[in-house]
Amino acid sequence: MPLLELQHSLIAALFQRDQLAEAAKFVKAQGSLSSEQRVGIYRNSAHGILLDYLESLYPVCLELVGTEFFGRTAHSFIDQMPPTRPFLADYGADFAAYLSAHPALQEMLWIVEVAKLEWARHAAWHTVNQVASDFTQLETLSAEQQAELRFQLPASAQLLSAHSPIHSIWLAHQDEYPDKPQFDEIDLEEAQQVLIFREQRRLHQTTLSPDDWAFLNAVQNQATMADLAEQFADQLPWLFSVAMQENWIYSFTTTPDETKPTRNS
Amino acid sequence: MTPNPILGCGIGLRFQHIDQILADKPPIPWLEILSDNYLTPGSVQQDYAIEVAEYYPVTLHGVGMSLGATEPFNDEYFQRLKSLADQVRPAWISDHLCWTAAHGWVSHDLLPLPYTEETIKHVVQRIREAQDRLERRLVIENVSSYLQYQESYLSEWEFLSAVAEEADCKLLLDVNNIYVSAFNHDFDPCKYLDSIPIERVQQFHLAGYEDKGTHLLDTHGQPVSDPVWGLYKLALQRFGALPTLIEWDNNIPSLEELLAEAHKATEAHIHAFA
Ligand SMILES: [Fe+2]
Repeated sequence: MPLLELQHSLIAALFQRDQLAEAAKFVKAQGSLSSEQRVGIYRNSAHGILLDYLESLYPVCLELVGTEFFGRTAHSFIDQMPPTRPFLADYGADFAAYLSAHPALQEMLWIVEVAKLEWARHAAWHTVNQVASDFTQLETLSAEQQAELRFQLPASAQLLSAHSPIHSIWLAHQDEYPDKPQFDEIDLEEAQQVLIFREQRRLHQTTLSPDDWAFLNAVQNQATMADLAEQFADQLPWLFSVAMQENWIYSFTTTPDETKPTRNS
Repeated sequence: MTPNPILGCGIGLRFQHIDQILADKPPIPWLEILSDNYLTPGSVQQDYAIEVAEYYPVTLHGVGMSLGATEPFNDEYFQRLKSLADQVRPAWISDHLCWTAAHGWVSHDLLPLPYTEETIKHVVQRIREAQDRLERRLVIENVSSYLQYQESYLSEWEFLSAVAEEADCKLLLDVNNIYVSAFNHDFDPCKYLDSIPIERVQQFHLAGYEDKGTHLLDTHGQPVSDPVWGLYKLALQRFGALPTLIEWDNNIPSLEELLAEAHKATEAHIHAFA
């Protein structure tokens, strides 16, 4: 079917510069613009839409690397990994991985970690809020049921472990925080563990202590109450109460986790 | 429940204005929700759209249906769109007479079709299928374009009119797009308007373009230009004072400025018949 051929050729030109001449064969030359220039308008327009979108997803990275570098890298990313789904919000997850392979960033991989943080924020906005459990019901459970309890972080929760102070770098680039750290004063070698989650229409982003980090990871890996007691011993009540107070734990289940292989299987 | 009527001149809902709209509830005749930005179930974006729809009459306007494509429709896209529509109860759903995806890639841009009898047959069948999937009649918009295909032998207005008649859908006439394409392809925009069947047109779009010297680019980044206001007046005289919407997607102004632009369209409604 000729329409199929035409569309394949056109879309190839949008994402591969060397296909412009091929696509131009389907197009009339009019006025002062050649047919290739006319296809080029669409290539620029499609790239422009995706570049604007990537800039809106990665505003701190954009400030860190500058408009020109970001634009060049984004354009080559778009050509190498064009969108494959009609949902724009799904596009751009691979951008951090793409940056991590960039020769110019090998000594500045903290920028890649900031990109991962920015994607995690985007993903948290786009995740559904599950229904919160009624934690007063915990008291009604038998000792056996209590041992089998599993907890859930908010569905939107993203636990990030970075070799660099991603939270501080991110904060330093937010205009609306009056007490933000000065970028020049940040020690780029400092590792940070960060939790991002959404509560209704608010996004929370916070650094975690190593203990809180280990605890929330265990919870996210569906450890039972008995597992947690074994792993965290007498620290558990404290870790648990902080997590509850901060709304890091959102719901619980008493049924066995079907997704986790049993020890004997 | 019957959706609220869409009357007068509305604006496109933009993220930047949502908090203000929900807090102040300014008098806005209606809002057009860009469906593609609200399609993630349970996302904060969708949550906002649902709340806005509780207070204002809304329509859903999309860019991702890819009605003119040759590959099969994306089932998930239609499921999500239908679920959004169930929640915001739009007066109607619109998308463009174009294609966006091919070969497994999605351009997220509005790409023109060749204007031939064969394409009409293809698009008509696709619009019918989309209407069946959504269980409602669609409203189809003309796109602005920067190229014409070798194989095109019909005019855009002949193509658009034939598609609307044969698919039995409604039309969203983007007056700015007509003007932009008329400049780029050297045709008479008045002739375009005069050829469109009156009873098919349901809505108008107005937006700003950018003059690139060699061509006009539909950027939605500035006020509606004077010649487009002129063409709009002719459109009102031919099709009547139909619901009109101001689109603004780049350099988005304050809500007040946007509403002032919509107010200009309301004044044009009055003066068109004076
Ligand atoms: Fe439009």
